[in-house]
Amino acid sequence: MLPVSLNSAVHARVRCAAVLLVLFIAPAVSAQSQDETVSSPADVSLPQISAVPIFSAGLAYNTFIQGGTPNLHPLVSPVILIPFGENWLIESRDTFEINLAPVPGENGYKGYLQKEVDYLQLDYIASRYFTITVGRFLTPFGVYNERLYPVWIRDLQSDPLILPISTGPSGAGTGAMVRGAIKATPKIEVNYATYFSTLSRDTPFDSDRDVGARAGIFLPGPRLEVGGSFQYLLEDQRSNAFGFHFAWQPPPLPLDIRAEYARSQNGSGYWIESAYRLSQLNVLHDALRRLQLVARMQQYYLGKVLDADLPQVNTNMFEFGMNYYIQDDFRFVTSYGRQFAPDGGNMNVWTLGVTYRLALPVGHGDVQ
Amino acid sequence: MNSRCVILSGALAVAAGLLLLAHSARGQQGGTPAPTRTGSPATGHAQAQTTSPPDDEALRVEGEKRFHANCGRCHQSPHKFPPRMVMTIERHMRVRATLTDENMRLIVRYLTQ
Repeated sequence: MLPVSLNSAVHARVRCAAVLLVLFIAPAVSAQSQDETVSSPADVSLPQISAVPIFSAGLAYNTFIQGGTPNLHPLVSPVILIPFGENWLIESRDTFEINLAPVPGENGYKGYLQKEVDYLQLDYIASRYFTITVGRFLTPFGVYNERLYPVWIRDLQSDPLILPISTGPSGAGTGAMVRGAIKATPKIEVNYATYFSTLSRDTPFDSDRDVGARAGIFLPGPRLEVGGSFQYLLEDQRSNAFGFHFAWQPPPLPLDIRAEYARSQNGSGYWIESAYRLSQLNVLHDALRRLQLVARMQQYYLGKVLDADLPQVNTNMFEFGMNYYIQDDFRFVTSYGRQFAPDGGNMNVWTLGVTYRLALPVGHGDVQ
Repeated sequence: MNSRCVILSGALAVAAGLLLLAHSARGQQGGTPAPTRTGSPATGHAQAQTTSPPDDEALRVEGEKRFHANCGRCHQSPHKFPPRMVMTIERHMRVRATLTDENMRLIVRYLTQ
C-alpha cells in the first residue's frame, strides 16, 4: 500500500510541475504565434556584421578580514563566447580561486586552488520570444546568481547569505532551459525562464535534480523590476522553494535598489541593497563622480534541514561599502560589515580589493 | 499541505497573469499600426507615414535610451565595443539578462553606429 501511495504522490507532483511549466511557457508560445505579423520598431534591421568569438574574464584580488583573521582571495573567471550561424551561441564561464589563510604555528598563508565550471551551455534563439538552452546553466532562482554574481558587477564582494538557497550545490543546474522576454505593452516587459536539472555529483559539474521557473515584470519607464521564482526539488528531500526579487533604478538618480527574498526547507531570508554613485554632486565633481556608496542589510533564518553552504545559526548582517571606478570595468572596492549571530558569531568583516573585467575579440569578422 | 497549496496557487496566478499580458500584447501588436517617431502632424499625408520605418536619428536616441535602461539594470553602462563584438554580446545578453528582441535590436543599432 505504501509504495502505491508514494508513487501516486510523486506522479501528482510531477504532473503539477509539468502543468506549471506549460503555463509559464504558454505566454511565449502564444506571443510567438504573432511573430510574423508584428510591425513595430522591433523590425529594425540589424547591421550585416558577423559575430566573432569573444574571450572575456573577470578578475579580482580581495582581502577579507573576518573576525580579525585575514584571508587573501585572488580569483580569475574566464568567459568564452562562441557564436555560430544566425541564432546559436556556445558560452562558458569557469572560476579559479584560492582562499589563502594563515595556518596557526606556521609562517605565511596557505590555500588550495578551487575550480568550478559555472556554466557551459548551448543556446538556440528560436524566435524573438523564445530561447532554448541545454547544458550546464546558472540556476535562474532570483536574479543575483545569474546577473549580479560576477566580481566586476557585484557592488559588495561578499555573497548574500541566502544565495545558496535553491541555486544548487554550485549555483548551476545541468539539463535544459527555456527562456525569453516579451514586450507585453509599451510600458511593460515580461521575462521568464523555466528549467529542468538532473542530478550530478561529479565535481565540478555537480547539480541537483529539480524543476523550476522564474517570471518577472520590467517597467522600462520607472526602471522597476519585480518577479518571483519557484523550484521543486526532485530528490530524497522533495520540497518546494520560492523567492521574490525586486530592482529599481529611478531614472533621475544614479541609484540602484535591489532586494531578494528566498525560502526553502534549508532556511529563509532576505537582503536589500542600495548603491548610489556620487556623479551628480557639484562639489569635487571630477573626483566624486567615480565614487559609489553601497549599503546592504540581510537576515537569514534557519530551516528544517541544515545546509553546509548556509549559516548554521540565525544570522543578521549589515554592510557598508565604497567603490571607486577607474573605468566602468575597473575599480577599487572596500567595505565594512558587522555580523550578528549567537554563540560568539558576532564579528566584523572588512574587505579591500580590486576588480577588473577584460573582453577581447577572437577574429576579425566580416562587415557587409 | 496548506503551504504547498498556497505556493501552487500563487504560481498559477503568476502564470495566468503572464497569459493575460501576452494576450494583451497580441491585441496591441496586431491591432494598431506601428507608432511614428517623426512627430508629423496628423494630415492625410502624415497618416501614410505612420507605417514607414522610424528615421535613423530617432532610432539612435531610442537605442541609447534602451542601452542605459537595460544595461544599467545589472552593471554600469559599459563603454562601446567594436561592432564585431557587439553582435556576439547581443546574443549573450539576450540569454543572460532575458532582454526583449526589440531592446536588443535598438541597442545593437546604437552601439554599432
